Amino acid sequence: MRKSFIFSTLVIGAAVILPFFLGNFTLRNATDILIFAILASSWNIIGGYTGYASFGNIVFFGLGAYATAILMSNFGFGFFPSLLLSGLLGAAYGFVVGLPILRLKGHYFAIATLGLAEATKALVQNLGITEGNSGLYLPIPEFAIDASYRFFFYVSLGVLVILLLVTWLMLKSKLGYGLIAIREDEDAANSIGINTTLFKSAAFGLSGFFSGIAGAIYAYQQGFIKPEPVFTVASTVKMIVMAVFGGIGSLWGPTLGAVLIEVIDNFLSAHFLVIHTIFFGAIVILVILFAPKGIYDIFGGRKKVGLAYFLDNIRRNRV
Amino acid sequence: MTAQRTAILEGKSLTKDFKGLRANNEVDFTLYEGEILGLIGPNGAGKTTLVNMIAGSTSITSGDVLFKGRSIKGLAPHRIGALGIARTYQIVKPFPHMTVLENIAVGAMFGKRDKRLGARKAREAAAEIVSFVGLEKHQDRSADQLNVASRKRLEIAKALAMSPEVILFDEVMAGLNPKEIDQAVALIQQIRSRGISIIVIEHVMKAIKAISDRLFVLQHGEKIAEGPPGEVLNDPEVIRAYLGKRYQQLTQ
Amino acid sequence: MLTQVIINGLLKGGLYALMAMGMSLIWGVMNIINIAHGAFIMLGAYLTYWLFVSLGLDPFVSLPLSMALIFLLGWLLQKYLINLVVQADIFITLLLTFGIELLINNLALLFWTADVRKVNVSYGAANFAVFGATIPAVRLAAFVLALVISAVLFYLMNRSRLGRAIRATSQELEAAKLSGVKVGNIYAVTFGIGTALAAAAGTLWSILFPISPTMGGILTLKSFVVTIIGGLGTMLGPLIGGLILGVVEALGTNLFGSTYENLISFSIFLLVLIFKPRGILGGRG
Repeated sequence: MRKSFIFSTLVIGAAVILPFFLGNFTLRNATDILIFAILASSWNIIGGYTGYASFGNIVFFGLGAYATAILMSNFGFGFFPSLLLSGLLGAAYGFVVGLPILRLKGHYFAIATLGLAEATKALVQNLGITEGNSGLYLPIPEFAIDASYRFFFYVSLGVLVILLLVTWLMLKSKLGYGLIAIREDEDAANSIGINTTLFKSAAFGLSGFFSGIAGAIYAYQQGFIKPEPVFTVASTVKMIVMAVFGGIGSLWGPTLGAVLIEVIDNFLSAHFLVIHTIFFGAIVILVILFAPKGIYDIFGGRKKVGLAYFLDNIRRNRV
Repeated sequence: MTAQRTAILEGKSLTKDFKGLRANNEVDFTLYEGEILGLIGPNGAGKTTLVNMIAGSTSITSGDVLFKGRSIKGLAPHRIGALGIARTYQIVKPFPHMTVLENIAVGAMFGKRDKRLGARKAREAAAEIVSFVGLEKHQDRSADQLNVASRKRLEIAKALAMSPEVILFDEVMAGLNPKEIDQAVALIQQIRSRGISIIVIEHVMKAIKAISDRLFVLQHGEKIAEGPPGEVLNDPEVIRAYLGKRYQQLTQ
Repeated sequence: MLTQVIINGLLKGGLYALMAMGMSLIWGVMNIINIAHGAFIMLGAYLTYWLFVSLGLDPFVSLPLSMALIFLLGWLLQKYLINLVVQADIFITLLLTFGIELLINNLALLFWTADVRKVNVSYGAANFAVFGATIPAVRLAAFVLALVISAVLFYLMNRSRLGRAIRATSQELEAAKLSGVKVGNIYAVTFGIGTALAAAAGTLWSILFPISPTMGGILTLKSFVVTIIGGLGTMLGPLIGGLILGVVEALGTNLFGSTYENLISFSIFLLVLIFKPRGILGGRG
């Protein structure tokens, strides 16, 4: 316990002083990584700890982005109030829609969340206030350029730290035990007295809250949003791959996964502009095949990780 | 033992229909406070279905279940747990990746409403229970590493941690060797001495005779006898239901 | 006017049905949701296009060839790749098929560019007039072919030895293993059939609509909707689901405008999942 506390403090400390050493372009990349880390860690709450693999979490990101855009442009709200309200919208959407949808299990739940994301995107594309497919502009941040990059970095870092703290506290609380019990055996969880419907919806809502905030940050940073990029399913998959790669059901795993996957993706983009997505697809496949329990499993506690470890994963999962 | 007795759990004309199959037909039963009621019957008699109806895991087609005089029909399983009725599963359902202690702590955190504990206190309560069931050696191991007998103890411990007034044990002795069966019998008797009323479904005749105050027998979904073991086990209908190898055991 | 709308809906619905059949088969037998399903539709479409443009083969003639080639691709993928993760958590297989979709789509983008293409057959403009509505000949031919292929599939699944083996494997995996069925091979064949059906849908699509390497995404989603509406586990499910989706979309877009197409489809999708997840014909839940 003490060790991981020191580790966490060091990592956060390093992140805090990072902007003083990085140029704006790299800082922007780092901010993108932080936003993905928020998304992956949020997903981890419903997907990793509760065991309900949502394939539509991007919906909260999109809703948050649009909420912030509308609140700031149409109603003149400030950024931080919009941020909070976007989070609350995500939380409410997750909790309310979660009530019927979380009754579904396995595949059905996964595609229901896919359908939810698509339906919500289609709704946004047809509403007047969102300007349909034309997109929405946001007010330009009133900072100097350098300050602006640092601003978004620190806001993202702050949100991530709060998210991880909330997750950590949750895991020590009845909510955390309840969610993990649901993941481990939902029938037994019900019999032991856990109101699984309520707990699952709470998890989905919590997940939605932080994902919504991530969308808010993204929107203000971008200055302009359209339905396609903020509701794209490929991003949900990316956040799941990050969580898996880093280690589902561990606190820092998704963040670690976000860093690794983004670094790899940026490297590929820089060197193989045309075919980087192809390489990315290949990497996804390789990770799924050989290390479905993620990097954490490899480095956390295993004595020997040789070929045998990877082959064993396949042996366990094959037909 | 025959003084004023209150019925803590009652089944009234319980019927369960699956598509085209009637698993339970108008079953009545009474569980008195502080007693151990044994539920026996051949395989497929509808014993687990009856328990599932009481526990809310499956819907009741018709009839009612009364807990302390109030109907609990139609309540969700977690509400029934919150009222103070715990159950174990025939094929045990531990939380595999949690430790033994954590498994039990979950029971203490949820379970009977007015006895629920916060996360920290629940772990302390779990430490007591883990000794009571004899699992201290394994308390920090993850549940999926336990052998069958230990898993059964864990299942009992989780139910106990809920501070229930009633526990429904569904074949906790299946798969245990004779020594383990004796230990399980002793454990259940100790649980009863804590004031908990118990229904035990069992096939192991020796054990059920040793612990039950009364027996009731299901066959083909219907109750065919209810009463003290001496009476029930000599009932010709009951004997007929168990014709064959079991006949020897019943008349021992 | 209403007749025209409904007929258009039915015709498109037949195509949707064929699209979904492959997905429903794979899902029902192996409990695998193939996110790359649309990519195979796209491959079938492009295969037809290149055969048409370079060899002058009429799409209806090259259809069996396209189906055979894509069957082979699907068979290989299942046997040597997907079979490796079949027993893992559900979302692992989902992620794997997503990775496959990424690969296929981007390879297609690389080789064939993002330009939109179309198979322009000479008889493309021919029309029938029925019940006061106009029916393009190619649409009707596609619809009929979709039904024919469905019938062939039905016969295959219910009357042939292979079909019996597939159904046995899907219903009772352990029993099938015990009776000597090589599950890995059955899965490979099933996946191959599923992708071949997708390719056939792609062939028909290429005659009727423009095609591009990224066309598959929305078609995968529509196939989900059709599969869920009709219900898993039966051959008839996708047919009913497809026709219903086609007609509802046609009526809905006529009423509200074409931009509402997706909103209508996915709203129905969610409603069915929430209230009747087994779909109209029920089956395995």
